[in-house]
Amino acid sequence: MGENLLYLLPAVPLVTALLSFVIRSYRIVEVVHVAGISGLALLSLGLVKSLLGGQTFFALDGMLYADGLTAILILLIGTVGFLSGFYSIGYMRHDLAHGEVKERDLSTYYGFYHLFLFTMILSAISNNIAILWAAVEATTLGSAFLVGFYKHKTSAEAAWKYVLICSVGLAFALYGTILTYSNAFSVVQDAHKAMLWTELIKMAHQLDPQMMKLAFVFILIGFGTKAGLVPMHTWLPDAHSEAPSPASALLSGVLLKCALFAMVRYYAIALQSVGSEFPQTLLLIFGLLSVGVAAFFILVQNDIKRKLAYSSVEHIGIIATGLGVGGPLGIFAAFLHTINHSITKSLLFCTTGNITMKYGTRDATKIRGMKKVAPLTGFLFAAGLIAVAGSPPFNIFISELMTLTAGLKSGLFWPMILLLLFLVIAFAALVILISETVLGSPPEDLPRGETNWMGLLPLGILFVFMAGLGIYLPAPLNQLLQDAVGVVLGH
Amino acid sequence: MSGTAVVNFLAVLLILTSMLVIETRRLRLAAYMYSLQSLVLVLIFLSLAIFMHAEPLYIWSFTALITKVFLVPWLIIRTLKKIGDQEGESAFKTSTTVLFAVFLVALSFAVANSFQTYAVVKVKIAMGVSIALFLLGLLCILTKKNALKQIFGYCLMENGSHLTLALLAYNAPETVEIGILTDAIFAVVIMLVIAGRLFKSFGTLDTDNYTLLKG
Amino acid sequence: MVWFALGSILLPILGSVLVLLIPERHVKKAGQFFSFLAFICGLLLWIGFAENRDSFTRDLLTIGGINLFGITIDTLSVLVNLMVVFIGWLICTYSVGYMNAGNREHPVTEGIPRFYSFMLLFIGSMSGLVLSSTLLGLLFFFEMTGLCSWNLIGFYGDQKSRNSALWAIILTHFAALGLYVATAFVYINTGSFSISALGNLNETEKIIAFGGILLASWGKSAQLPLHPWLPRAMVAPTPVSAYLHAASMVKVGVYIFARTVLEAGAVPQVIGEVGAIMAVLTMVYGFIMYFPQDDMKKLLAYSTIAQLSYIFLAISLSIYGSELAFNGAVSHIFNHAFAKGLFFLVAGALAYTTGTRRLSMLRGILSKLPVIGVGYIAAAMSIVGSPPFSGFFSKFMIILAGFQVGWHQPLILVLMVVTLVESVGSFIWILRWMGVNVFGSPSEAIAGASPTPVSIQVVVGVLILMTLVSQYIVFLLLS
Repeated sequence: MGENLLYLLPAVPLVTALLSFVIRSYRIVEVVHVAGISGLALLSLGLVKSLLGGQTFFALDGMLYADGLTAILILLIGTVGFLSGFYSIGYMRHDLAHGEVKERDLSTYYGFYHLFLFTMILSAISNNIAILWAAVEATTLGSAFLVGFYKHKTSAEAAWKYVLICSVGLAFALYGTILTYSNAFSVVQDAHKAMLWTELIKMAHQLDPQMMKLAFVFILIGFGTKAGLVPMHTWLPDAHSEAPSPASALLSGVLLKCALFAMVRYYAIALQSVGSEFPQTLLLIFGLLSVGVAAFFILVQNDIKRKLAYSSVEHIGIIATGLGVGGPLGIFAAFLHTINHSITKSLLFCTTGNITMKYGTRDATKIRGMKKVAPLTGFLFAAGLIAVAGSPPFNIFISELMTLTAGLKSGLFWPMILLLLFLVIAFAALVILISETVLGSPPEDLPRGETNWMGLLPLGILFVFMAGLGIYLPAPLNQLLQDAVGVVLGH
Repeated sequence: MSGTAVVNFLAVLLILTSMLVIETRRLRLAAYMYSLQSLVLVLIFLSLAIFMHAEPLYIWSFTALITKVFLVPWLIIRTLKKIGDQEGESAFKTSTTVLFAVFLVALSFAVANSFQTYAVVKVKIAMGVSIALFLLGLLCILTKKNALKQIFGYCLMENGSHLTLALLAYNAPETVEIGILTDAIFAVVIMLVIAGRLFKSFGTLDTDNYTLLKG
Repeated sequence: MVWFALGSILLPILGSVLVLLIPERHVKKAGQFFSFLAFICGLLLWIGFAENRDSFTRDLLTIGGINLFGITIDTLSVLVNLMVVFIGWLICTYSVGYMNAGNREHPVTEGIPRFYSFMLLFIGSMSGLVLSSTLLGLLFFFEMTGLCSWNLIGFYGDQKSRNSALWAIILTHFAALGLYVATAFVYINTGSFSISALGNLNETEKIIAFGGILLASWGKSAQLPLHPWLPRAMVAPTPVSAYLHAASMVKVGVYIFARTVLEAGAVPQVIGEVGAIMAVLTMVYGFIMYFPQDDMKKLLAYSTIAQLSYIFLAISLSIYGSELAFNGAVSHIFNHAFAKGLFFLVAGALAYTTGTRRLSMLRGILSKLPVIGVGYIAAAMSIVGSPPFSGFFSKFMIILAGFQVGWHQPLILVLMVVTLVESVGSFIWILRWMGVNVFGSPSEAIAGASPTPVSIQVVVGVLILMTLVSQYIVFLLLS
């Protein structure tokens, strides 16, 4: 059952993508698209369910593999892929109606949307480290079109930066991959086994530690670029702000985590091979740096989507900090934060879609009085921002507190105080944003009213997740996270 | 001449050709230079295949010949035909770049020296060159302002990691090499498409002019 | 009992969601109704507790073997909870009259559902904070009250009020970091989030934990140096100010301090010293700031800062082992709530009817607006601590306890002398304004006052009564 799912899961978006590319009529493509995302969501949930309790599956001669870590990613890809895919329909119809895009572009959009999902799934389920690298690189290529979707000058610029910087960054990751492979090969003398993560983790303590350190640095730079860690993050605000909002949701919500989890695979190997100090210190430094730099940038940006993009950098930094703190609690916190951030950031990016549809701008100095113009959108936007600011009653509060607790437990008193101070800056930046855009007085000439229900329903569902996880952690999810922690710590 | 000597000689040729790619101002010419370099790379693969009895590398040299010697340069020249041949601007003078390059090559050899335990011991120079090539590609991206020139930089990086792959992991399953190569080709194709759009929107390939997005 | 406790937390929260969904014309009634339900729950809880006096803690939310939230029923929580829901209900009732188009100072025509929604959420969060048995619960509701106050302070939506609201949330969130650290710190050292786990820490660990708690408390209770948000928060609609000052926002700080000191067993004396010194410094600062104020609400804001310092001082004294001081603190939390609530509502009533809050323009309130005038007198007398009003008892307890402790502690003795001077000074200054404003013939502003809405008069009446009897409610439980 589980093995079949490993085949089916990538097949569904791939087939949907191909169908979308060949079908001309956008009405039919929409139907195909809905079928595709629904199928994907069901299959993901099916796989996650069968993985509960520390199950693992192999397929394709061990090339494909699923465990607790995979489950988290698949859960995110399935849920966010479905919801922002659903949201895309209303959003794209609006763009079509306003002449921003042509009918033909819609087929291409949905095609690339599913291609992008396919590459992300591949990165989540590949056990072969070379395929893992290739899949992450392919996510760049699959999503480059989405970033450059609009025919604006700015989108071309953003797409250029995105592809160039990420490809260069990932070249480093390729080096790391090769080093790891040759390291393993000299241990086992078996080309097939030396490529498989499940074998690597078994022989981790036999690997040459010096080489593994070097490999981990390359991996950190490489996948760190793609995950948006400072100082390799420069492409991120451009790409995430220029993409269509539902695609931004997918980029910020899921893609960053795919790259991050690729790094986590190597982190697990490094923990056993070179001990915990080296990889953890590196992650802690990169994590704190990301949170600090991003916090200031959130404050000074004017474009709301850029603010949100920097907020993603900040949260990736918090996740990296959690991993850097290490231990069962730190890693648990990091994974919980991964899920929480995905939900919240997808909600926010989709909401900005509604806002741009309404106001026709992303400039935070022009968007005013959302509470009167579009109360529901304004409410969701404010709630989402409060959540990413790390305030109760929403989910991110919990995982941030957990990260802090884990940090203090590891005796990292001053780094944690630093983290908290950075978080206050980010908090201030975000509440100021709410204060200006949601509460201020609206422009007189703007018609009141919400966008269509298709643009609100997925957001409502995300909001329920966000608020629900803020006050309760369901047992299956807890189980899933424990499994993932077990995978990393090798229990 | 022993096999090691041939490989090492060809590897040094790689450095020279990569400097030519970086410093050739006319882009069409640079594309030919790149093709030339890839040919040298193919020759290295071949000699490694012969001297180290690494059969998979025969296939590698064939795929590299098709894709790197012909396909990628052709794609670049095709783009150049569309937008007209360009002259790449550089942030530094040639002499400065060469100075950097020398430093990077020295650095690479120092790094390669630290690899003790592997098959590369025999071809340490080639290993050093592969890292140098990677770093030179990075140098090209950082110092050149022309978008196409940056694509060349990426290609150089790619050649560097390809050589490392051949030295350290020639026995890896073929699927791996195919997967990585496909990604590289697609990356170049997509970059070229975007570069074409950039030229259409901005009227130039000079990346200093792409400043709409800041902060 | 647990159900009453949960009722006073959850019913207002339920109400806060509902008022957003129902038609706007029913909102005021619904707001009143839900706050009344909460009050009934709080009252029944108090009655139940007064009968059998059994304090207990009940765990309610446990995940993975770790208790995350529970409720504590004891004298402190039951009493403060009663205050929270009682004043909450009174404010909701008062607002029915205040938040309408007839308001001279600031006519309100829209946003009523938002107002009631946040007001009810505020009551529920306060209740949750007060009854919480875990540090996590304290932190959670600490931040919730911050969010509510932010939205309510910035209710009018103009630039100035939005900025003031930002001050309130950012400063108190900064202060909350102390509580974040304390919570995490207690958890990693004891494996529990329970407040009583504080007692299991050793001396050094307690200093770190209480350092964090003090920072958080100072922030919320607007003590030096985290006070700037409170005077700015005066741009809020007056019922909101009344609630912030009487029963919610600023009381969060002192409540958290009192609760943790109560549960922690022996608290390091250095915390008591720091707490007492900062309390007296703030008290003096607040007192000095009385003089330049002409805006009635501003004057009251600084009075709040100074009165909260009394409570901080009292809790700090209790660290030296004085039970009288702790009882004084609890009494003062309770008594000050009704007196200050009354004072603000009087200020609000004056603003509503005359359109001004400037002290120098008000004269002869008693003759033109008798209920409001009597309210003014009762509030002022209770605040300055003159018998027979409740404020007298609690202030007396604190000062008496202070001198008892000071007998052995020279530092405390010095601080108590300063406190006594402040007490006399504020007595004179506030009664001076009372003399000017309440008596004599009506000034122009008062003479032209519009009639006071019934709901306002009723609430002011109830509060006048409470300033006389609130201390006895405390005595009932303390004896």
